[in-house]
Amino acid sequence: MARLTDLPPAVAKRYAELECPSFATTPWADGPPLAERRVAIVSSAGLVVRGEKPFRGRDADYRVIPSETRPDQLMLSHISINLDRSGFQEDWNVVFPLDRLRELAAERVIGSVAATHYSFMGATDPLQMEGYACEVASRLKDDGVDAVLLSPV
Amino acid sequence: MSALGHYLEEEGIPTVAISLIRPQTEKTKPPRALWVPFELGRPFGPPSDAAFQKRVILAALRLLERERGPVVIEDFPEDDPRERPDPEWRPPFAKPDLDGASAARLAAALEDESERVEGAYRRAAKKRERTIVGLSGLSVGEAGRYMAGWLRGQTPESPNAEMSAPLALRFAVDDLKAAYIEAALSGSAKPSSKQLGDWLWNDTAAGAAIFVLRSMCLTSDDERLKAIAGLFLVPGVRVSQSG
Repeated sequence: MARLTDLPPAVAKRYAELECPSFATTPWADGPPLAERRVAIVSSAGLVVRGEKPFRGRDADYRVIPSETRPDQLMLSHISINLDRSGFQEDWNVVFPLDRLRELAAERVIGSVAATHYSFMGATDPLQMEGYACEVASRLKDDGVDAVLLSPV
Repeated sequence: MSALGHYLEEEGIPTVAISLIRPQTEKTKPPRALWVPFELGRPFGPPSDAAFQKRVILAALRLLERERGPVVIEDFPEDDPRERPDPEWRPPFAKPDLDGASAARLAAALEDESERVEGAYRRAAKKRERTIVGLSGLSVGEAGRYMAGWLRGQTPESPNAEMSAPLALRFAVDDLKAAYIEAALSGSAKPSSKQLGDWLWNDTAAGAAIFVLRSMCLTSDDERLKAIAGLFLVPGVRVSQSG
């Protein structure tokens, strides 16, 4: 369905032609084998823990999602209505695969799961997120994270 | 998403991005990305299929072990089996007869229907121990009544001091749609998102009411309301289908 050929032509054209930032550098960070890595999820689904402020419009900041968050506490406040929410409603792992990461850690496929995960609003101009992304990077380092699974929606 | 990967990687944190729209990823060039052929909203594939989801996650995480960059974009080879419709699925209630109904009649039908859906939604949420309803702070019935006020041409006061009335309308619509879908997901069948969307938009008073609300708000003098109507009430694919 996310094949552009499966979308209505006008929608496909909009997505294909959406202005995206291009960067002069191509950074590449290395790490240990997967079985030794500490993995965090950084989502752009506008996820918010119930009781926290939902994303409004194109907020550039982020929300914190502690690893202890339960499925019934996580909401999705992404502004786009052109994405399916029923998958997330049935099973939060469709967007925020924390249960799967825990299983992979228990199976020793990955080293461990981060204490904290993060969410941004994907519809925001990415250039406005840079400062907040650096802040998140610093928090991830403090948590010992050396692998981030970036999840859109 | 790919830009976030760039920023984090600049800070020394290895990343791998799931890509839903390949051309965007190709433009931004994150260090590592796995393109998946799933519908928007399902970056890790089918719900309630842990084995499939794990294959997606592992295909992505394994890219972290590549020794050479600076840009790796690979494609996940499997389609989402849940995109197929489930013939066993049945909608929670029959389609109401609202052909040619006025806005006032739709408002009454919406109030009645949302009250009835509230019970089914609550049972479903209890069974699943989970709901994503709650952005507006209104119950399902209250969200239906709030929307009905707008349908009757009123500008109901926002129920939440931190939200403007147009924003409260947007979140009320979001909550109502979410509650209907959760009520429709309560059985053992596994409907596709298209089955659920077809039912909500074509066969419920709520769907018909949201279409009318959209048309009404698009003619408003309030620019915020107009923007919310244009962008946040009815998905683009449903607008284009309605002609």
